[in-house]
Amino acid sequence: MVYLEEKLKEVQDSGRLEYRSKALPTWCPGCGYFAMVDGVAHALNALGIPKENTVVVSGIGCSSRFPFFLDTFGMHTLHGRALPTATGVKVANEDLTVLAVGGDGDGFAIGCGHLPHVAKRNVDITYLLFDNGIYGLTKGQTSPTSAKGFKTPTSPYENPDQPLNPLLMMLSYGASWVGQSYAGQPDHLKEMIVKAMAHRGFSYLHILSPCVTFDKTHRTYGNLGMTVRPVPAGHDTTSQDAAMRLATGGDPPPIGVYYAVPRPTLGDSLDGLVVKAGGELPRRRGTARAAE
Amino acid sequence: MSERHHVIVGMGITGNEAAITLRRREPQSRITIVTLASLLFYNRYDLPQVFRGKHDWREFLVHPPAFYDDNRITVRRNSRVANVDPLNKVMTLEHKEDIPYDTLLVATGGRGWIPEELAEFRPLMQGFGSFEQAITVARALPEGGGRVVMLGGDMIGLDLARTLIDTGHRVTLVAGEQTFWPHQVSAERRPAFVAALETMGVEVVEQDSVGGVAQIAQGAKGLPARKVVFRDGSELMADVVMPFYGIQPAIDFMGRTGVDVERGLLVNPELRTTDAAIWAAGDVCQIWSQEENRYRFYYGWRNVRAMGEVAAGNMTGGNDAFVADQDEKLEIDAEGRLVSPFWEYA
Amino acid sequence: MDATDIQILIVGSAGDGTIAAGNILRQALAEAGYKVISFDVYPPEIRGFGKCIARMRATIEQAYSLKQQSDVMLSLDDSHAIPHVAEVRDWGAVLYESKPVANAPQGHITGHIRPGQIPYGCAIREISEKATGANRSRNIVALGYLAGLYRLPREAFHAIIDRQFKKRGAEVASVNRKAFDEGYAAGAGAFKLDDVAFGPPKPNVVPGTVVEMINGNAAVVKGCLDAGIDCFFGYPITPATTIMERLATEMPRHGKRLVQTEDEISAISATIGAGFAGTRSATATSGPGLSLMQEMLGLGTMAEVPSVVFVSQRGGPSTGMPTKTEQSDLNSALFGGHGDAPRIVMAPTNVEGCYRCAGKAFEMAEAYQTPVIVLLDLYLSNRYETVAFGQKSPFEPDVNKRPRKQDLGAGYKRFALVEGGVSPRAVPGDAGGMHIVTGLEHNELGRPADSAEMHLAMCDKRLDKLKGALVHPDFTVAKRFGAMGKAAVGLLAWGSTFGECLEAMFQAEKEGIDCSAMKVVMLSPFPEEAVSAFMDDCAAVLVPELNHDGQFARLVQGTLGRKVVKLTRVPGVPMRVSDILGEIRRLAGRNLPQAAE
Repeated sequence: MVYLEEKLKEVQDSGRLEYRSKALPTWCPGCGYFAMVDGVAHALNALGIPKENTVVVSGIGCSSRFPFFLDTFGMHTLHGRALPTATGVKVANEDLTVLAVGGDGDGFAIGCGHLPHVAKRNVDITYLLFDNGIYGLTKGQTSPTSAKGFKTPTSPYENPDQPLNPLLMMLSYGASWVGQSYAGQPDHLKEMIVKAMAHRGFSYLHILSPCVTFDKTHRTYGNLGMTVRPVPAGHDTTSQDAAMRLATGGDPPPIGVYYAVPRPTLGDSLDGLVVKAGGELPRRRGTARAAE
Repeated sequence: MSERHHVIVGMGITGNEAAITLRRREPQSRITIVTLASLLFYNRYDLPQVFRGKHDWREFLVHPPAFYDDNRITVRRNSRVANVDPLNKVMTLEHKEDIPYDTLLVATGGRGWIPEELAEFRPLMQGFGSFEQAITVARALPEGGGRVVMLGGDMIGLDLARTLIDTGHRVTLVAGEQTFWPHQVSAERRPAFVAALETMGVEVVEQDSVGGVAQIAQGAKGLPARKVVFRDGSELMADVVMPFYGIQPAIDFMGRTGVDVERGLLVNPELRTTDAAIWAAGDVCQIWSQEENRYRFYYGWRNVRAMGEVAAGNMTGGNDAFVADQDEKLEIDAEGRLVSPFWEYA
Repeated sequence: MDATDIQILIVGSAGDGTIAAGNILRQALAEAGYKVISFDVYPPEIRGFGKCIARMRATIEQAYSLKQQSDVMLSLDDSHAIPHVAEVRDWGAVLYESKPVANAPQGHITGHIRPGQIPYGCAIREISEKATGANRSRNIVALGYLAGLYRLPREAFHAIIDRQFKKRGAEVASVNRKAFDEGYAAGAGAFKLDDVAFGPPKPNVVPGTVVEMINGNAAVVKGCLDAGIDCFFGYPITPATTIMERLATEMPRHGKRLVQTEDEISAISATIGAGFAGTRSATATSGPGLSLMQEMLGLGTMAEVPSVVFVSQRGGPSTGMPTKTEQSDLNSALFGGHGDAPRIVMAPTNVEGCYRCAGKAFEMAEAYQTPVIVLLDLYLSNRYETVAFGQKSPFEPDVNKRPRKQDLGAGYKRFALVEGGVSPRAVPGDAGGMHIVTGLEHNELGRPADSAEMHLAMCDKRLDKLKGALVHPDFTVAKRFGAMGKAAVGLLAWGSTFGECLEAMFQAEKEGIDCSAMKVVMLSPFPEEAVSAFMDDCAAVLVPELNHDGQFARLVQGTLGRKVVKLTRVPGVPMRVSDILGEIRRLAGRNLPQAAE
């Protein structure tokens, strides 16, 4: 509880409280997700995005409760469907800042089929993936990023599967911005959320966020705190090749921007179709946006 | 036996009679009639009725369509036979379909003959061999009286002439060698018969007196549709020009069968050709006549119908010879009009 | 014949241009002033030689269904056409290639034409080669022959051919015109023996309207556009695909957006996302897609977000019969999701209805903040009718219930429990309107809340608010046809089968049977009053529908607690009018006083 009070005080002081709702988060004490709410509030504040122009879309899972804790528009949808729903919101109104949030189960198990498509379309949304390597909301079952050998109630002997490599997948799908951060380093996280949101196009931020309740074996704060390392200096963020090498580099996981290239967004392409068809583009407010 | 396929080419009175006889004698066998016509069997002798306002072809049908279904007689209309292969007993239709047969009856009848020198004018003349042609002539004649120039003047044409005159049309006959065909009229008797025609209301122009037909032309605007020009320069205007030079057997498709042919298909008195599986009946065949010691044609409605029946009987195991029972004499009645057995077909 | 009522059937293989010929013919007939109803059948194979059938009925007044027997058949491929020869009535016509390159395995079509039918052979290939130097225009030559035979106005065909081939160049258009003219000359020169005769057409006399020859899916598209659709998300599936294809062409022209998604789940998710953002959005699918969408539709109900889903039914279950028609997704549309998830479900009965339902669906989705399913079926999607459209859209562009300024801000209750159940809705961009929608049961603020009282209140709200749809302005939820008083037999039907019901009713009336018919367009909420009143008047109520179980009959019986007589068929093609008529006769006989003993 000490942790929570400290965070609230910090937010109060920073003037970012207006982005926070009055609802008290449902997460376990010590969960890294608190840092993410704070990070998003910080980013919205830093980028000067009005809260009524912000839509946070989530699926189902611990992290998907996220929208309730911000005072923006939000959609708490179905398990795995945050990305297509967020796509609909953005296509409907390009003036909105649209965030999709969710966990590893939501995104890389049930919702995995949507990932390549939202990436290839380059929908101008930011996807914050909170990876705790476990199904926390249903009390600790194996997830697609759980380590092989991991014991959970659904894999009582051991998890027979290899974990997915979300960063490598998103890079190979052609996401135009891919980065990684760590809930144990809130300042890095804040900075990365700002960068991801400032990117015009689909940005994928993978956030390592160990489950403090159900996973006491693997990526614990204890382990990670010692071992995450920054993306090496001189890494070429315009090279997909270099980014993929980084993503397959194994432990300790590098945090920072892996890949960032400008590319026309889905909205740009759809506007292009309107021009091709001889139609008239709708008037838009044009959301203010910080340069990358 | 029950699976035997009898194929009849031609759906005139002969073919139709044969089909009915076949079905009566063999309830199980397959029967197919192949015909060039679009219509089912109708009585061609009734066609002059089109000038009495009978224009619905359904009224001409001898049997309703269901008759063919009920008797399981397949009718292949609009179908022309391209070839017959007697070795394999298969005939090929023009649309490239092979039809195997066990027995084949050729009953294609005859088609109107036109002298060589008039062949080029064929598109300007109207035949009278089918319902469609009959309607076309009827439509070409103006209401309340048109003018028909008839060339040749066989008995079919003269029959039509009677109806045309009866229904208020004017008929001019360009008479020649084929007039009164198939009756053979001697030179001595001919003037009397021509006079009888005139009594009946036919205007007669003797072909010899005008040097024959030189040309048939499209009529000028505002005038009748046709113009017949004779070699002596004289002309006849007409709404319709119709050739009636007698008929010739329609046997082109039999060319490669190897069966004996003179003008028609040569058949024995049992109506079989020189191929054991092929028979012929009606106007298409010449039948051996013991008395006359020659192959000869027998015309007339009753004769050709009888041939259909005889042929069908013999195709299904019978062995009857055809016996002509129709009088062939052309006469003049008390009122000075022609009387022909060919006109008796009620 | 006093009134023109002619049904033409064109049968060929996919490579013959069968559907293209049918398309030109029905458009030309409409152009000439006839009312047309038309339905094509095409094979599941993408290319190749599957059977294609174009069927159309031309009348003076718009017909409601096709006839069982056709008057004219045009064969572009004998092997496919031969099984359909029997469909042509006696004294009707069969048109075919007289000089085929090869014959069908069943032999030439002349061997199958029944004695009562009139055969017309045309050297289609020869004429095409002579006219165009290729045999590619065989379908157009054949069409010309048919037009010539019946002396249909040549200019109408020229206009359509020009329009049709314009995009492939003036050269192509003129070659096809030539092919048509050569065929026309041959047809006009043929001796006509059948008794099929086109009487003078009745030109469209409704002022200010434009008559279009249009199919159900195209009418849906027109309805979408006239209702101001903003976004469309879809995944191709027969027989709904042409809705998306047409919208893909049309929407950018209007500055609107269409995205082809990776699956139906994505399509409905995005549709609801766009609905949440305050736009008019829709998707279109068929039975399998609807199954995939069910969970998200439940969210649409729960989160009270407007969305429109067009479902064109095909034969089911599972992959079923993708190119056959059926009405077996009614249960899925009404009750498909989990939980108590009411939504609006409507089913048009004809092509004009497709247009009206499409447009009204957007109004209702917005007005009642709910998913709206418009149920079509393959028969309705693909069938063409001549429809007179007004020049102005009959649909309201904005029927949103917006919050008052004073209700916005910190305490804004997105799900306020108000009279009628429709809470004022803010959308992203509205200052002070911030709220979260969730699939969790929630309170008025939208916060998770699962008390018994709250769940009941919210269930009531979600159900009650839909009742508005029964009295929605300018929309017919159910309508009665035929005898208005007591009737021996009442036909109660939904969707495309209603056309066959009307046809059967007309025939029954001719036989002196007191018969009445009601179409039910609104299926959820169910128009209990109207249907009940109708049933009160009918001694027996027959429910014909194209599914195996009698899904609509069950709905009626379950909702009203009254018995109906089921008539179910699943042939994959429209119901036979004679089947309905047979049941009417049986029921009328059973209910006649003398038969009662």
